[in-house]
Amino acid sequence: MTTETLLWLIPLPPVLAFFLIVLFTNRSKALSHSVGVGAAFLSWLMSMVVFVRALGVEHLGEHPFESSINWLPTGDTWLRIGVLLDPTTAAILFFVALTIFMIFLYSVGYHNFGQPKGDHDHKGLPPHGATVDEHGHTHVVPSVEPMYSRFFAFLGLFAFGMYVLVLSDNLLTFFVGWEIMGLCSYLLIGFWYAKPSARDAAVKAFMTTRIGDVFMLLGIAYLYSVTGTLTFREIFTEDVLHTLASVPSGFLGFSAAGLIGLLLFIGTVGKSAQFPLHVWLPDAMEGPTPVSAMIHAATMVSAGVYAVVRMFPLISLDAGTMSIVAFIGAFTAIFAATIAVAQNDIKRVLAYSTISQLGFMIAALGIGAYVAAVFHLITHAFFKALLFLGSGSVIHGMEHGVLHTGNHHVDPQDMYNMGGLRRKMPITFWTFLIGGFALSGFPLITAGFWSKDEILADAWGHHHYAVFIVLAIAAFLTAFYTMRQITLTFLGEPRTKEAEHAQETPWTMTVPLIILSIFAVGYGWVGIPEHFPVLGGLVPNWIHEFVGGTLAEHPEAVEFNWTPLLTSLFVALGGLGLGYAVYRDVNSVAQDRFQIPLLKNKYYFDEAYNYLFVKPAYWFAENVVYKLMDQGLIDGILHIFGPVTDRIGAFIRNNFDLPVINRFFGDGSADVTYGLGERMRFVQTGRIQQYLMFALVTFIVVGAALYFFLLA
Amino acid sequence: MVPLSWYLIFAAALFSIGLFGVLSRRNAVAILLGIELMLNAVNINLAAFWRYGDVTRMAGQVFAIIVFAVAAAEVAVGLALVISVYRRRNTVVADEIDMMKW
Amino acid sequence: MNFITDHLLSLILFTPSIAAVIMLFLPQGENKLFRWFAFGASLIPFVLSLVAWFEFRAFLPGFQFQESYPWYEAIGSSLHLGVDGMSLTMVLLTTLLTPLAILASFTINDKVKAYMMLFLFLETGMLGVFMALDLLVFFVFWEVGLVPMYFLINQWGSANRNYASLKFMIYTMGGSLGLLLAVQLLGVLFGTYDLVTLYDRWNALDSGSMLLGMSVSTVKTIAFWAFVVAFAVKVPLWPFHTWLPDAHTEAPTAGSMILAGVMLKLGAYGFLRLILPLYPEEARIFAGALAFLATAAIVFGAFASYAQTDFKRLVAYSSVNHMGFVVLGIAAAAFAAGTTDATIALNGAILQMFNHGLSAAGMFFLVGVIYERTHTRDLEKYGGLFPLVPVYGGILIFTSMASLGLPGLNGFISEFLVVRGAYPILTVYTVISMLGLLFTGAYILKGIKKVLHGPLNEHWAHGEHRLTEINTREILVMAPLMALILWIGIYPAWILDVINRAVVMLF
Repeated sequence: MTTETLLWLIPLPPVLAFFLIVLFTNRSKALSHSVGVGAAFLSWLMSMVVFVRALGVEHLGEHPFESSINWLPTGDTWLRIGVLLDPTTAAILFFVALTIFMIFLYSVGYHNFGQPKGDHDHKGLPPHGATVDEHGHTHVVPSVEPMYSRFFAFLGLFAFGMYVLVLSDNLLTFFVGWEIMGLCSYLLIGFWYAKPSARDAAVKAFMTTRIGDVFMLLGIAYLYSVTGTLTFREIFTEDVLHTLASVPSGFLGFSAAGLIGLLLFIGTVGKSAQFPLHVWLPDAMEGPTPVSAMIHAATMVSAGVYAVVRMFPLISLDAGTMSIVAFIGAFTAIFAATIAVAQNDIKRVLAYSTISQLGFMIAALGIGAYVAAVFHLITHAFFKALLFLGSGSVIHGMEHGVLHTGNHHVDPQDMYNMGGLRRKMPITFWTFLIGGFALSGFPLITAGFWSKDEILADAWGHHHYAVFIVLAIAAFLTAFYTMRQITLTFLGEPRTKEAEHAQETPWTMTVPLIILSIFAVGYGWVGIPEHFPVLGGLVPNWIHEFVGGTLAEHPEAVEFNWTPLLTSLFVALGGLGLGYAVYRDVNSVAQDRFQIPLLKNKYYFDEAYNYLFVKPAYWFAENVVYKLMDQGLIDGILHIFGPVTDRIGAFIRNNFDLPVINRFFGDGSADVTYGLGERMRFVQTGRIQQYLMFALVTFIVVGAALYFFLLA
Repeated sequence: MVPLSWYLIFAAALFSIGLFGVLSRRNAVAILLGIELMLNAVNINLAAFWRYGDVTRMAGQVFAIIVFAVAAAEVAVGLALVISVYRRRNTVVADEIDMMKW
Repeated sequence: MNFITDHLLSLILFTPSIAAVIMLFLPQGENKLFRWFAFGASLIPFVLSLVAWFEFRAFLPGFQFQESYPWYEAIGSSLHLGVDGMSLTMVLLTTLLTPLAILASFTINDKVKAYMMLFLFLETGMLGVFMALDLLVFFVFWEVGLVPMYFLINQWGSANRNYASLKFMIYTMGGSLGLLLAVQLLGVLFGTYDLVTLYDRWNALDSGSMLLGMSVSTVKTIAFWAFVVAFAVKVPLWPFHTWLPDAHTEAPTAGSMILAGVMLKLGAYGFLRLILPLYPEEARIFAGALAFLATAAIVFGAFASYAQTDFKRLVAYSSVNHMGFVVLGIAAAAFAAGTTDATIALNGAILQMFNHGLSAAGMFFLVGVIYERTHTRDLEKYGGLFPLVPVYGGILIFTSMASLGLPGLNGFISEFLVVRGAYPILTVYTVISMLGLLFTGAYILKGIKKVLHGPLNEHWAHGEHRLTEINTREILVMAPLMALILWIGIYPAWILDVINRAVVMLF
């Protein structure tokens, strides 16, 4: 098969799996997950084939694999859609395919396949465990998810959306994939829809990202109307870019490129949960599973960054837009990191950490560090996926403990209920440690170090000192809260009975952890800067050569400088060390000095938005638009018509119809006729001969008269 | 040939006799007889005018025949009415059949 | 076969009426027979319009399958039928939705014969508007459609049906008074009502000359607004929209399906078929006003929908919101007629008409399905029904997403095209209408949240109130709609190509 055909085929298996499961196999759990995992595997396989082929092509940036078809007729022309594989796409595809496949595999175990049905399990609620009878005594074991098949269907649709997004050669299908993922995140966050918190979080996620999407759609429409095309490679030609940069948009002095870039970036802000649209992502952790959390935290949110990466040639045209991007990114990075410090829910910490890390990438793009951003995007996807799956594994283990003790009031996600899990769940511990160290940027061995270091080096090298300082502080906080998390969760002694009875998870969950931890370490080595002391040049800086080839102007590698390197060494090790030092002896929430209310409550953004936007919107909709305007004003005016017409009618009836028509003409003529008849009736004798006599006499008289007057 | 005026005078006489009968007789049957006379007076006129006019145009004769037919029908209906009235009211005097008066 | 192809349009048009008359002679009380007879009879026009769809030559300019019969020769009006790509799409929509609506109303047990007959007459009325190429005939069919709908709402509607049906009838009739006068004006001026002739002669009038004691441009402006008001009421455009929530909410399920699916399109079709070709100049001048009203419809429609607690009313207001996009596209096209942007906007507007026909009909039907089972439409009384009715839930989410304009489903394509076409022409209005798009999401999600999600309302879980799953017949109603929604969403070219060619040739 040609590479182009393969590109077309890659997104198909998951969506076929979605339809197959929904329409046919949803009753059979085994069949459904086979279909789902099989489809994910098939897509992964094809992606790998494509990736390997892409590696073998020289100058892939100038001659990417592409293929397109006519899709929408627009007057005399067509809007074409198609697939495109350039170096960046290939690099992204590599991690997307792998993480998606891992998610599918992991879900089998997470949703307790093979376990008995729950005693009181209810569709729409998490499984509560099943009682089994073994060797004469009963005990409670985890029960299988009641909507097991549905989960795989949603995952399939999600994977389809992600593949479409990654492989699109144009903004429109890019947006299609983007929104399909939005729907899936809605469905997955609200998977346990009977929980009000999950239900509200789903709506919140959809609506918040939709704010961004609406602007993005506007940006797409604007771009399309200026350039007449949505195909990336047609937009990124010199002529078109030049036009875009020179046409004024008429909005605050932005050029067309600047405004389009800004509009598209707002889409990213929504999708990648950047400030000020970050509020949905932590709530998405209300979502049932670490798996789905991981989907929108590690994979889907990357789409937002990918959008900026994709549109980088356009966005980078306008300095104003770039500063906004850089500012938002850097601010989000430090802002989310501070919140993460005060969170106790294992998933929420990761959620804020994700927001913060995405901020790193956005900031990197904002200062023009394209390769560094892509590099961090990929490494982050690996280690954040690893961390989320790890946290899922922890929660799963904790739930096991909860079932064992039967105390359902213990929150299996609260880190203060854990502790000492390293002995109970060794595989999870070691992989989580790797992930955590990668996130913190533990020097030299972890992938996170290399990518984060590159961002800092770029910021320093291009003299964006403000961004550099902010990101450095954020990186320090990252290391700090990561170590806090690891310490509270795995180190020390178990703080609850449940933690004592936690159990390692099945192989379907641990195998993905192990595979991902390999990448969380190894992937960093493909991007070691050439002039790095000692290590530089041992392994070629593949990521820079390959991904950098996507851009028309091959970006220069930033010169080596000791300042950023020392900074990143210091913040990583310092943060980790401080985290361990502070939390080594902390045993309860009360001892935690960082439970600052402002941070704990996420700077009160949810409350503020609720009072500033959500409630006024509803109030406006209900009271102003519906009750005042529609029912009051418009219907009020309409309802005036009725009585007014009624009055006019009554007036005419009383003053004209009744007296004039009825009394005078109607009744009057009747009365006259009646009176006349009354007086004349004596003529009617009823005797035929009298009538004849009258007739004869009349005849004679009239005849005589006629004769007399006319003839004579 | 006898002049046309004789026929007309004769017919007028016959008509007057019939009219007198209709107006003066109290018996309903007699009134019907009067009507017959008047109709036949008309017939005589029709025949006479035909004969003394354009002989090729048959309208006079045709009308006369139509009048016969109508007269026959009228008598049939009229007599039936009279019999019917007689059966109900036991009288054929026209003056007494005055239910429709005021 | 020749007979069929030669008289295709009149066959499509009159088969339902003939069937309705035949139905009059069917024995009383055979409800099952009535249902199946009406359903079968409504399938014939559908099959015939499929024939028309495939026989249609999209690349030819002008109208096809034309037929003309003398009708009212004294005043120069004839029964002139014909379709182009634009009207054929609408004919297809009508003939598709009518059998589905009839299938949806198999649960009606009261006066079945009259109900089915009215439905068939209704179909003729609506089809006539789409096919007529004669102004007077257009108007006649325009009004003919009202009568069956009035009775459908009035006889088979829910609690507040008298108010709703009267409001619907009077409002629409009142709106079209001006239209009748304007139609008469054109007829008197030119001695013919034939649209094709009028297109040329009306526009050829020298705008400086005098007419009825006024300048031609004044007359045209007055006539323009007479047309606009009539169509705006029907679309409905803000602020003429308040009949819609009442009528839709009170109408029987199938009535709402047709009302939202087809009847609203009559108004938009009027804009496209009559206003744009007959008043290009006035339309350009007043495009801003139209766009303002359209934007108001989009934004306020979305807000009002969001404020509802009645499920059906929520869906009804969504129609105001969605039809606003149609008018926005039309306004954009009116402002910059002939440009690529205008063509794209019109493509979007017409496709949006078709798409809204599918998704709104589906939504109303789904509301009807749950209403039949629970006898309530109050959103607060549902809650957590998903586990009881998983199939229904899935279908509801699917259709809601189509209504929301999720990419990959049909609504997105048309909304994107409208936004794309309108953006360079009416930038500010387009930007404001995005607010409406945002709240589209809000009210759709509100509906799903209140009906399907959340803790289960135990009232519906047990005993006599136990909610039953959507049945096969109901799934059969939804299946064609869902298939089309998906098909247009994935590969819109098959229908958009026909529309696009028509638009390019017309404007």
